[in-house]
Amino acid sequence: MPDAPEKDPVVSRSLAGYFVVAALFLVITLGWSLYDEFYGLRPWKAYERRFASLYTSLLKKKIPEQQKAEKAIEDSAEYKALQKEFKDEQEAVAPKLKQIHEQTAAIDAKIEAVLGTLTNERARVGSMIYVAEHTAEGPGRKSLEHNLDEYKKGPFVLAGPPYNGKSFTFEEMESEFSNLQTTKGELQQQEGDLLKPQGDASKKLQAYLHDHLTGLTSDQLQGLLNKAETMSIEIQQINIPDAGIVDRCESCHVGIREPVLLTRNDMGGVRDHMSAAFTSHPDMELLQIHDPEKFGCTPCHNGNGMQVDSVEMGHGEYEHWLWPLYHKANLQSGCQQCHASDMVVDHAPELTNGKQLFQWRGCVGCHRFSGYDSEPEDLVANQNQIMQLTAQHDDDLRNAQRDIDSGDHAADNESARKFYTDADALKVSASQISIQLDQLETKAKYLMMGRKKVGPDLKEARVKIRPEWIPVWLKNPHAFRPTTKMPRFRLDDEDIQDISAYLWQTALNTSLTHQAPGDPVKGKESFETRGCMGCHSVGEGSNQVGGWFAANLTRVGEKDNYDFLVRWIHNPRERTRPYCPFEKRDITDEDYNKHGLPPYTFDLNHTKCPNDGHEMVVEQMTVMPNLRLSWDEARDIASYLETLKRPGATYAAAPFMNDSKLKEVGRKKIQFYGCAGCHEIEGMEDEGRIGTELTAEGSKPLEQIDFALFVGEAKKEDWYSHKGFFERKLAKPEMFDQGMIKTEAEELRMPDFFEPAGSKTTEGMADVAPEAKQQISQLATFLMGSVTSEIPPRFWYLPADQRRDAQEGWWLVKKYNCEGCHQFKVGQNSVLMDIPRYQTPEWKDQLPPKLLTEGARVNPEWLLKFLSNPAMSETDTDRDGVRPYLKTRMPTFYFSPIELRKLVRFFQALSQQPMPYVPPRLDPLAPKELDMARALFNSRAAPCLKCHATGDATHDKFATAPNFLLAHDRLKPDWTKHWILDPAMISPGTAMPSGLFKKAGDGHNIFAGPTPPIFEGYTGDQADLLVRYMFEITPDEQRRLTGLSAASMKKTSNEAGAKPKTQSILIGMLVKAH
Amino acid sequence: MNKRILVWLPILCATILVFGCSSEKAPETTEQPTATATAPAGTPVDQATVGTITGKITFTGAKPKLATIKMDQDPVCVGKHSSPVHVEDGDVSANGTLPNVFVYIKEGADKYAWPTPSDAVTLDQDGCMYKPHVLGVQVDQTLHIVSSDATTHNIHPQPKDNREWNESQAPGAAALDKKFARAEVMIPVKCNQHPWMKAYVGVVKNPLFAVTGADGTFTIKGVPPGDYTIEAWTATGGAQGQTQEQKVTVGAKEAKTVDFGFKG
Amino acid sequence: MGFDWRQLWEISSAPDNIPIVALLFLIPFFCWMAFRQAFANDRLIAQLEADPQLAKTAHRKTYPWQAGWSKEVHTWPYLMRVEFLAAIIVTVILIVWSITLNAPLEELANPNLTMNPAKAPWYFLGLQEMLVYFDPWIAGVVMPTLIVFGLMIIPYVDTNPLGSGYYTWKQRKFSILTFCFGFLFLWVLMVIVGTFIRGPGWMWFWPGQTWDPSRVVYEVNRDLPDIFGITSMTGKAIFGAIVMGLYFGAAGYLFHRIITYSEFNRKIYQRMSLVQYLTLQFFLITMLLLPVKMILRLVFRIKYVWVTWYFNV
Repeated sequence: MPDAPEKDPVVSRSLAGYFVVAALFLVITLGWSLYDEFYGLRPWKAYERRFASLYTSLLKKKIPEQQKAEKAIEDSAEYKALQKEFKDEQEAVAPKLKQIHEQTAAIDAKIEAVLGTLTNERARVGSMIYVAEHTAEGPGRKSLEHNLDEYKKGPFVLAGPPYNGKSFTFEEMESEFSNLQTTKGELQQQEGDLLKPQGDASKKLQAYLHDHLTGLTSDQLQGLLNKAETMSIEIQQINIPDAGIVDRCESCHVGIREPVLLTRNDMGGVRDHMSAAFTSHPDMELLQIHDPEKFGCTPCHNGNGMQVDSVEMGHGEYEHWLWPLYHKANLQSGCQQCHASDMVVDHAPELTNGKQLFQWRGCVGCHRFSGYDSEPEDLVANQNQIMQLTAQHDDDLRNAQRDIDSGDHAADNESARKFYTDADALKVSASQISIQLDQLETKAKYLMMGRKKVGPDLKEARVKIRPEWIPVWLKNPHAFRPTTKMPRFRLDDEDIQDISAYLWQTALNTSLTHQAPGDPVKGKESFETRGCMGCHSVGEGSNQVGGWFAANLTRVGEKDNYDFLVRWIHNPRERTRPYCPFEKRDITDEDYNKHGLPPYTFDLNHTKCPNDGHEMVVEQMTVMPNLRLSWDEARDIASYLETLKRPGATYAAAPFMNDSKLKEVGRKKIQFYGCAGCHEIEGMEDEGRIGTELTAEGSKPLEQIDFALFVGEAKKEDWYSHKGFFERKLAKPEMFDQGMIKTEAEELRMPDFFEPAGSKTTEGMADVAPEAKQQISQLATFLMGSVTSEIPPRFWYLPADQRRDAQEGWWLVKKYNCEGCHQFKVGQNSVLMDIPRYQTPEWKDQLPPKLLTEGARVNPEWLLKFLSNPAMSETDTDRDGVRPYLKTRMPTFYFSPIELRKLVRFFQALSQQPMPYVPPRLDPLAPKELDMARALFNSRAAPCLKCHATGDATHDKFATAPNFLLAHDRLKPDWTKHWILDPAMISPGTAMPSGLFKKAGDGHNIFAGPTPPIFEGYTGDQADLLVRYMFEITPDEQRRLTGLSAASMKKTSNEAGAKPKTQSILIGMLVKAH
Repeated sequence: MNKRILVWLPILCATILVFGCSSEKAPETTEQPTATATAPAGTPVDQATVGTITGKITFTGAKPKLATIKMDQDPVCVGKHSSPVHVEDGDVSANGTLPNVFVYIKEGADKYAWPTPSDAVTLDQDGCMYKPHVLGVQVDQTLHIVSSDATTHNIHPQPKDNREWNESQAPGAAALDKKFARAEVMIPVKCNQHPWMKAYVGVVKNPLFAVTGADGTFTIKGVPPGDYTIEAWTATGGAQGQTQEQKVTVGAKEAKTVDFGFKG
Repeated sequence: MGFDWRQLWEISSAPDNIPIVALLFLIPFFCWMAFRQAFANDRLIAQLEADPQLAKTAHRKTYPWQAGWSKEVHTWPYLMRVEFLAAIIVTVILIVWSITLNAPLEELANPNLTMNPAKAPWYFLGLQEMLVYFDPWIAGVVMPTLIVFGLMIIPYVDTNPLGSGYYTWKQRKFSILTFCFGFLFLWVLMVIVGTFIRGPGWMWFWPGQTWDPSRVVYEVNRDLPDIFGITSMTGKAIFGAIVMGLYFGAAGYLFHRIITYSEFNRKIYQRMSLVQYLTLQFFLITMLLLPVKMILRLVFRIKYVWVTWYFNV
């Protein structure tokens, strides 16, 4: 035990030190929490402050500049003149105005004086009346009313000027007051009238300023400045309750909608991390269409609109926000959810390309996507409807019979009659149904016409291609043709042998008519000038020329059979045998013989199965149209194509082709890989799609997306997102098999659409060529946007008016690659326009017509006729119906009436033309006018007939414009007038010259050149005159004009005769179709 | 089995609904509809006691002037006639009696059973005229329609209570056998191709009817004893024709005479 | 796969799990403190017992005994000031905590997509873990109720007069052990298991294993009766009942041995009424049920012991 016991710590030790420290910490933390409350948790405040300061300084810089600019304008003579005008006006009315003001002042004084007493007394009287009214009839009330009257008598004395003690009764006061009011009103009226002219003058002044000033006026800027300086620091929020949109993005992106263009440099430069947030929206036009007040931000951009805690949170770039901001590269995904039913989305080229790639690459062959390639489904639906209606039809008849029986045995005539009427009603409805059924059958036919496959028909492989080439192709299509859309299926040699064996053995084994060789040189010329290159290309790598839409034919000579090629070029839609979906087999000549019918020939009017009368597939399901070339020309082109091959290209013989043992295995493998999704294959015509539907793939939860063994890695490398998955899956599908233990049948079937660029890395995007990367990113954009939209349908772009026609039309334009030859929008160049050959002036005139205003130009009924038969003739088809002078030729696409209708409506919609079109009645030319028109046409000054075809062979060799005979059926008068007045306005770069007419003093158009004497004293509009003449012109008239021989004219007149027939038929078809 | 019930149930309900409001006798007739043809309800007629009703239809007043029929539109018709043909409606015989009058028992006969006769009544089209012009059939009795013309006719009855039909009969085409399900007096029959062709069919529930001949007399045989309302119909006067009725009591084996007199 | 530090960090850095991480260190620390004090007291008690003189003068439980230290000290200020200091420090800690770590909110609930793993708040993870071993209504209703009642009856079954108001080990071995077993082992441990060990699909992941939602494990859990090839429901019920009976017997015997282990224990035991003793036994046995079941399940892969029509144990 120690002698000097230490002190008791509990009692003796002081805790002051601890307390001080603890208290200190407490204070600090309190301070911290306060800071956090006001700033830490509210970063946007800093943004708004910073923006305000930057913006004000910017404006302060801008305003003086603008003022200088305005000054300059104000110094200009015109402005001065206007100003003077304004001044004069002012001075002119000044004295009168002064006088009026004086009078008004006087009146006001009086009003004030009266009102002073009146208001008071009114209240008093009012209350007295109230009391009286609310007293029961009787002496009491009597006296009250009496008092009231007494009181009203007054007298009420108005003290002070201008009345100076004049006394009034209550009524007098009231009337006095109202009089004053009216006089004042009149005075104001006068003043307004006086000021009007100078008001107008100042308006003119403003307008002038505005017209000559770029950007906002200094006053407007000043307004903005004031706004910015007094800007209150608070959350900026767009709230759209019914759509559940609450977007606070503008709390940081303050300047996104400012009328002044803000660049990053204006707002603090690249070094400032905030400046990025302060720039204007890059596409203001887009904001005009989608007003943020109505749409918010997040519906297009995604991200967490409510979040303002931090940039990451706001942009939704954190674990718990499912829809982070779209990546810059995939910005346009945002458009898809509302524009799913558009094939072409303006302002969104990436998305549009993605949409088209999905079709073109054949994704749609395995993956359903609503809106794409709908014909097969429509056919099924159609079939079901047919069965349903048939049943209903039979029911009706049965019930009718039942009613008749009960009628016959009804007790009294009343009920009997009722039964009979019911029976009649049922019979009528039955008859209606059967009519409907016919229509459905027709619709089935049309749907089949519109049904296309991505890849070629392999039933004809045997007549088309050489056996030894098939395995090489299957091994790796890209090796043979780098640009092909046929993907690589990662097949081993065994697979390849089985598959090609099946294809070869099931393919149609017949011989085509043998074709004599043609002239390759002429063929080359035709190939390059007929328009083939709108879709096809030749040459590899850098010297590839032509369209991307269809196959690159550089090595076609190594694979194709000449005979087939000739037939194909002559008419690609021609099929060796029709296929009957009902019997699920090809119909052979025997079938036709059985029923004593001539053997099958390609013909769209004989599409019914000889056995059971069902509609058959009689066309090749290719989009390639029929160019209506002569057999000779077809041979020439084919011979030319045969020359396209690598020198000394040889292929190992493929004996296994005929090994029947492989066939069955091959069949299974073909089904496994879903080849039938894109190709027509014997025995698999009705195979379904093997892939998952992708219509809403973008909103599939990440957890449900198969990252296989890459989940961890993806999270680490930060591609655990839809974007990351789509891009990698597209670039290299098999990567998701990596490390998995699978049998061949379990491995991913999705083929490789893009080849590795050869760089070492094997995963993901890194490995493909740049153009492939671009396509992948576009497809990813499309898929990411394909979501089950959470915003209400009223936001979706589903127009019910003409815009819908435009919407539908674009699908067809893309389906048939119309843009290969035609220009629809300024800026969108057709493929041909960019081909070297077409750069020279003379070849520019050979380009197919621009369709910028087609809807306004042509009569829809004519267009319908033309689209269905561009030759405009049943007999003589080796020509272009409108422009025989063009080497390029509008081919026959064999559009189904459904498609025809869509296309016609599409063009009308593009130019906002009303449907149906009722041609205006042009008043016929008076004899004098007729002479004038002729004179004008003949006069050397008028160039019309120099270029326009006349049907005279010699002349038409040099013609570069259509025949006037077409005008009446084809054109719309209004458009025609605008056209002859100024063609360049309508179709920039057209061969047709402008300035043929000039405006006369009276506003009429008169011919610019010297007019023939007969025009003396003609006051009418000469352009109109010409148009009317063009619409009246007949073959005889034309002959008279050009002095042609009747013989050479005959042909044309035949055409004129031939047209109406086809037309009426087509209209008939349309009516049926809808 | 079930299905069939499902089908019949509503129909049964419907019929009951329809006939519920009418006489309580009705349901029986509907419940086994087919029965009416073979063994109709009611007491069978004792052939030993039946009597006859005879009579004459006289016509007083101005004899109407009959228009001649112009058959020019169809040469075949013209060819068949040497002399001009007159309209038959409103024809009055020389002795002032009316031919083509349809006489039948309107009321009183329903308590007896009247089986549908198996033999057919024939309506011929000869010389573009219906022969006979007026005829009677019993309900569901077969009307055998033939054509002796080398031209196409179409037979188009326009009934009020029965079902309307209209069928063409090409020359040499098979005869049409038709039935009328409901009693109706009279059903005008026309031919749309020969507007003048006209016939009248009286459909009655019993065989107790007759059509006056050229002499304007008629005889109804096999009338069982009882009180009857007898009606005569003639096309004379008025588009609908006109009718008269009388009460008559027929005793067992009695021969009654009932005369009618129409005015012009 | 190697040791996945990232995974481990993800789990332990989740704001939700901070308390449990803290738990890992705080509990041992406080246990250590408590025991240190307890042992000190025990030694002092020994000293006092050895020296009755000393016992007269000294009551404060500080060891070794110091001459001249005041016999007693007042709550105010000597206790209050310390408590107040503690209060301040805790406040600071809480404020800092609340500023630095936000509430772990997650995405908007999506009815089509259940989160995996779906975990209860950390303080309920023990109960959730129990669901693995018992029927929901036993684990979720019966057990918690028993826990509450168990805690409530402690004063009534505790017949040990010593050791109240100061830390001691010698005098309350039994109760302290029971507490350590019941709270530390059964409750805290299960919370920790539920937090760090249970991954997607409530599967068992050792720390450092990646939580892979698509992980596949092969395990068959069978009911005890099935192992013995009993098929009929009645059979199972009876069999189960017997097994449970046996367990109760065995466990009861075990605890009896513990309770009457030492002289000291026996004294306490003497003071107990039959009711007290049985209640105590009942709760001890039920408490033991959980670890036993856990072992059966995790080691022997036995799902249920007692299968009846109404409930399974």
